[in-house]
This record gives sequence, structure tokens and C-alpha cells, in this order.
Amino acid sequence: MKIGVLMKQVPDTETKIRIKDDASGIVVDGIKWVMNPYDEYAVEEALRIKEKKAGSTVTIISMGPKRSVETIRTGLAMGADSGILIDDPALEGADCYATAKALAKVMEPENFDLILCGKQAIDDDSAQVPQMVAEFLGMPQAMVIDKLVVSDDGKKATCYRRIEGGAKEVLEVDLPAIVAAEKGLNEPRYASLPGIMKAKSKPFKEINLGALGLKAEEVGAKGAKLKVKKYFLPAEKAPGKIIPGEPEDAARALVKMLREEAKVV
Amino acid sequence: MFELTEPQKMIQQAFRQWCENELQPKVEALEKAEINPFDLMRQMLDAFGMRDAMREGMKRKVQKMREKGPVEDKKEEGLVEDKKEEGDPDDPMEMAQRDMMIPFTMIKELCRVAPGFAMSFGVSTALAGGTILSKGNADQIEKWGVPINALDKVGCWCLTEPEAGSDAFGSMKATAKPKDDYYILNGQKTFITNAPYGEIFVVYAKIDRGQPKDKQPVHAFVLEKGMPGLTTGKPFEKMGMKDSPTGEVFMDDVKVPKANLLGVEKDNLRDQAKESLGNERSGVPAMCLGIIERCFEESVKYAKERKQFGKPIGEFQAIQLKIANMYIKYMNVQNIVYRLAWMGSAKKRDMAFICASKAYAAQAAIEVAMEAIQIFGGYGYMKEYHVEKLLRDAKLLELGAGTTDINLLTTARILLRD
Ligand SMILES: Cc1cc2nc3c(=O)[nH]c(=O)nc-3n(C[C@H](O)[C@H](O)[C@H](O)COP(=O)(O)OP(=O)(O)OC[C@H]3O[C@@H](n4cnc5c(N)ncnc54)[C@H](O)[C@@H]3O)c2cc1C
Ligand SMILES: Cc1cc2nc3c(=O)[nH]c(=O)nc-3n(C[C@H](O)[C@H](O)[C@H](O)COP(=O)(O)OP(=O)(O)OC[C@H]3O[C@@H](n4cnc5c(N)ncnc54)[C@H](O)[C@@H]3O)c2cc1C
Repeated sequence: MKIGVLMKQVPDTETKIRIKDDASGIVVDGIKWVMNPYDEYAVEEALRIKEKKAGSTVTIISMGPKRSVETIRTGLAMGADSGILIDDPALEGADCYATAKALAKVMEPENFDLILCGKQAIDDDSAQVPQMVAEFLGMPQAMVIDKLVVSDDGKKATCYRRIEGGAKEVLEVDLPAIVAAEKGLNEPRYASLPGIMKAKSKPFKEINLGALGLKAEEVGAKGAKLKVKKYFLPAEKAPGKIIPGEPEDAARALVKMLREEAKVV
Repeated sequence: MFELTEPQKMIQQAFRQWCENELQPKVEALEKAEINPFDLMRQMLDAFGMRDAMREGMKRKVQKMREKGPVEDKKEEGLVEDKKEEGDPDDPMEMAQRDMMIPFTMIKELCRVAPGFAMSFGVSTALAGGTILSKGNADQIEKWGVPINALDKVGCWCLTEPEAGSDAFGSMKATAKPKDDYYILNGQKTFITNAPYGEIFVVYAKIDRGQPKDKQPVHAFVLEKGMPGLTTGKPFEKMGMKDSPTGEVFMDDVKVPKANLLGVEKDNLRDQAKESLGNERSGVPAMCLGIIERCFEESVKYAKERKQFGKPIGEFQAIQLKIANMYIKYMNVQNIVYRLAWMGSAKKRDMAFICASKAYAAQAAIEVAMEAIQIFGGYGYMKEYHVEKLLRDAKLLELGAGTTDINLLTTARILLRD
């Protein structure tokens, strides 16, 4: 099987986010960049399918600035076979739509049998790119999946998703399709030491706008349907309250507070 | 040069993650000896695909050795540039081993969390395993070097005796008397890291053919658990490094086959043991760096969060001076580790620098850990805040691999030599 994995480089989850003085974005100096955690599940799932199906390949695709190369190589060190980075100044300021357009364009000629990605990127938390990519490519989509079974003939995938009330929804899609990973899909492996040492010698290509065959008006800030007006931090939360005492008394006090102070019950 | 390369950074990040997820939650159980540290080390090696890669790599090394035949390889104390052996660029494990910053980075990451765990790992693999790899023949490497490097078996490195610590060679009492196809070993070794779990013991002893003690050459032998007359004592109770089991090794007429002698009988292994000490010493600053880096980071964070007298304690100059002084030591030791890595990778050996670095870094680690506790106030004295463990562990780094005094004296001796 030919598997493509969409991967985004994001700030480490423990990053203390600071806003630029003009509110046009976040300060990126000193940020530690990592693979979007949901994309880690996607990479891991792709590798597991590859290990089961002889002759499979896994390609990691990312759109982002140059530094994203390092995160792509983390995926290669985990065991992926090749990487593609879409990097062009004209892509800056892209929203989900413009991003999905560029990603779909680069994947079109690759003819993947399966495209995996994370259900959302933890930086913008939009959770829209996978659906839009599916639409651009005319593929079925299965989102927020925590269990994936690819049929032996590689023609179908059964996807499981948790829904309200603790039930599971089961989707069956024809491949090629795009599947977005939820936490719980698997336990991602660490990049192995031999994998890390070999990562640099694996095939990697960088694609700019020209090679992509898109015009500058179609992508980046110009192609975006959504304009960000300003960034601001949420108001600081008041510190939590600890209710001391025996569980029974504490529970009673809690209910009283919920009723009288918070007025939620 | 003062920045990690991409593969080094990837290894650093992967080890950081493993240590936070897998090692930190087990520190207490490790310190109480409730779990077997070597099981956890095996899990660690497997998580990074290192056990298989090591076995593979060593298989190739053994094969190459058998094709080439034995090589003489003598090194002296002091500044010596080793001849570069040609490596195998297609072998990722060998590439990793040639870049000293990779093992140093792993050691540093482990020591941010559990210096004793790191020490036990280093003693089995780098020290005991390293001695067999550098001095053993193909058969010995295959039989003992591979299993203790891949941690299929636990290795110990036995030099110190109750009456032979700093003067390990001069005062050594352990003897090996040649008899037929065997040596008969007698003696007692103490403070031996990993001894309570030991399966393969690299033991230094004097070959006794009836000549006076000071004429008896020191050699290393490989002993295996289960040999009649070889026993170990119960684990010592220690101030720190509680996550590293330590014990005694007793040899009472142990019959050791001639094939278990490392190297050839005529050359004196004193230099070789000293060389292992050099390796051990150059790994110590990386351990210190882990302790220092963690103490520094935790202190900065705490100084910003902890409020007294209406403001974060980081706004008091008394705390600021501590932070700045900790940072100086942090950067000094980090620079030392980069330099040691460069020396190791470029195969430059400078014993004076290695000994001086070891002495400085160990003292710096203790001072920084002590300051961290002070910044944390009463909380620093509590187990929960981790810095108290790092202080207890740091103190050992002034004792093992040669005490601070011995390292300073060796430095001076080399510098004053003509
Ligand atoms: C936790 C732990 C793990 C260890 N693991 C191992 C191991 O795996 N294998 C192993 O072989 N050993 C091991 N050791 C032993 C360690 O290497 C010795 O403790 C160390 O070499 C010091 O020897 P000693 O304890 O006998 O102290 P001594 O040599 O008795 O020293 C006592 C003091 O006298 C000073 N001193 C001694 N000689 C001089 C001199 N000439 N001039 C000035 N001052 C001097 C020393 O600096 C020190 O301050 C371990 C020790 C510990 C505590
Ligand atoms: C084992 C133990 C037993 C104890 N027993 C008792 C007891 O029986 N009864 C009791 O009441 N308490 C007891 N204590 C508490 C002890 O008195 C406090 O830990 C101590 O007063 C320090 O307070 P703190 O831990 O909150 O540190 P903090 O006050 O938070 O101090 C943290 C750091 O900030 C520095 N700092 C704070 N303010 C300033 C400033 N203005 N300028 C410069 N530096 C500053 C401190 O010197 C320290 O380095 C005990 C503590 C321990 C560890």
C-alpha cells in the first residue's frame, strides 16, 4: 500500500505562548517545535500498516517553513520512507482552505491508497484541513478515528469512532480515503537510534509554489477565506478552590457552592 | 560546535520523552529497590531499537576482527592522538558510537531524572562492556561483550578493594595464581556497582608467580556468576545513587579458565585499567550536566512561581545572584561536555583535561544542587521536589571514578611532567 501522512509542526504543548505586540500572531522565538501529537498517531498507524503489508511505503507530507524539515525527519526516524515539504513564502498566512488546497495538489499525483492525518493540529485547533483535503481529492473521509482496520485486499477500511453516550460508530470506507486519528488509535513509538542515524539519507523533497502548479493568488493569505484580525490570550483564570474535610462534608459543601455561588445546578 | 546537530537533537528529544514518561514515575520504586533497574534498561534499549542494532553491529565487529587477526593497540596517559580506524558509514550504530555527543546526550538526559540508573547502565555497558570490547579477542567479545552491552546480562567492573581505593593498583591484594589451564583467583572487591545483580564480572587481580607484590602484573579476568567460590554480598545502604545497586564481590579459590584472561599475559594491564578510568572520567561531566541542567531549570521555574513578601522570590537579589552563579556553572559544564565530545570523536586524548573536567563538574553539580535546595526552601528538602535526590546523587560523583583530590593530583602530575 502507498500511504501518505499529513504532518504539521507545532509548538511543544508546554510552550508558554506570547502574543506579538501588534497582535498579528504569536512570538515564535525560543519555541520548541514538535510533531503535532495527533499526527504522531497517524505516523504510527501508517507504520503498523506498512509492517503488516509487505511492500508498503509511507510518505510524510508537510506544509510549513524550512524548520519543518526536522519534524519530517523525526517521522523518517520512526520508520517512514520519504518526506515532502511544501515551502514557499507565498504560502504564508494560509487558512485551512488554502492549506488543504496546497496539500491536495501535492498529493494528487502520488496516488496514495490511504491518507492518514491527525484529527486536528494543537496550535490552531481548527480540525478542518483533513475534511477539506478529502473534498479537494474527492475521497471518502473518516474523522476522529480511534481504531482502524484495513481489509486484506487493501480495498476497504473499517473505522471506529467514539460517539456520545460511550457508544461506537463504525464506518466503512472504500480506499483511497482519508482517515484522521484520535488519541487512543495507538501508542506511538519513539524514533529509534538507528532510524535517527539513517533519517538524513532517506528521500526528501522540497516543493515550492512553481513546482506545485498553483498561483500565488490561490494560496497563502491571498487564497485564504478566513482573515485573522488579532490574537489575544484568554483572561487569566481565578485559582481553583480546594474544599477540605471528610468526603461527605466536602461533597455537601461542593453542592452548596455549585448551587449558590456558581448557580449551575 | 556548541549546538546539537539534528540527529543529536532528535536523540535528546526522544530520550527526554522516554525519561519523563517511563523513568521519572519509577524513580521512587527504583530508589527503594522495589523494581529491577535492568528490566527497565532493557525496555529503554528496546524502545530505541538499540539492542538489536548493538547485537548486529557487534556481530560485524567480531567478524571483522576474525578476518583481520589481533591488533596491538597501546595508549599512554597524556595527550595522544589515536590513529583513526576506518568506520563503516552504512552502519548507523557505528555512526552513533563515533559521535561522542550521542552517548553524552543520553547520559545527560538520564541523569536529569535518575543518575543512579544512568550509572548502573554505564557501568555494565561502557565500563565492563567497554573493557571487554577494547581488550578482548573475538571470542571474548562474542561471549561476554555482546550480552553485557545489550544487557542480556548484567556486567560489573571490579577494581576497588576494602584496602585499595585511591591506590587501587599499588595496594591491590586480589591475586590470580596460574595452575594448569586455570588461574586460581582469591580476594575481595568492594563498592562494586551492579554486584547484587551481577552476571559477568570484569575483575582486576595481580598475577602471582611467587614474585614480590610490586612486581606482580595486574590483569583483568572475566568471571561468571555461578563459578564455584564466587559470591556477592547484600546490597549496601547508601546516601545517594540508591537507584544503582552496589555490593561486594568475594573470590575464594575461583578456578578461572585461561581463556578468561583479557589481553595477553605479558603486557601489564595497569595502563588499560587506567584507560577505562579515563573513559569513565570523561563520562562523569555528562552525568553532572544532567543534574545541573535539571536543578537550574527547576530553580528558575520555582523562582518565578514562588511568592513571598508579596512578590516572586526571583525578584529578590539574593535569589538572582544564586541563579546567575548556577548558570555560570551550567554553561561551564555544558562547554566542557561539548569539548569532551569533540575530543572523543576526534580521538584526541588529553588526560589532564579529562581529570580536571571531572573534578570541576562534580563539584559544580554538588554546588548547583545545594543552591537549588536553598531556592526551594523547605520544599527542596522534601523528596517530592526531586532536587534533594539530585544532591544526594551528585555527591557520589566526587568519589567514584577517582576522588576529586585524586583527579586534581593526576591533573597536576601531568601538567608538571617534563
Ligand atoms: C556508589 C559507589 C559505586 C562504586 N562503584 C565502583 C565500581 O563499580 N567498581 C569499582 O572498582 N569501584 C567502585 N567504587 C569505588 C570508588 O571508585 C572508590 O570509592 C574510590 O576510588 C575511592 O576509594 P576509597 O573509597 O577507598 O577512598 P580512599 O582511597 O580511602 O580515599 C579517602 C580520602 O583520601 C583521599 N586520598 C587518598 N589518597 C590520597 C592522596 N594520595 N593524596 C590526597 N588525598 C588522598 C581521597 O581523595 C579521599 O578524600 C564505587 C564507589 C561508590 C561509593
Ligand atoms: C524538616 C523541616 C522541619 C520544619 N519544622 C517546622 C516547624 O516545626 N514549625 C514551623 O513553623 N516550620 C517548620 N519548617 C518550615 C521552615 O521554617 C520553612 O521551610 C522556612 O521558614 C523557609 O520557608 P519556605 O520553605 O516556605 O521557603 P521560602 O520562604 O519560600 O524561601 C524560598 C527561598 O527564597 C528565599 N527568600 C524568601 N524571601 C526572601 C527575601 N525577602 N529576600 C531574599 N530571599 C528570600 C529564601 O531564603 C529561600 O532561599 C520546617 C521545615 C523543614 C524542611
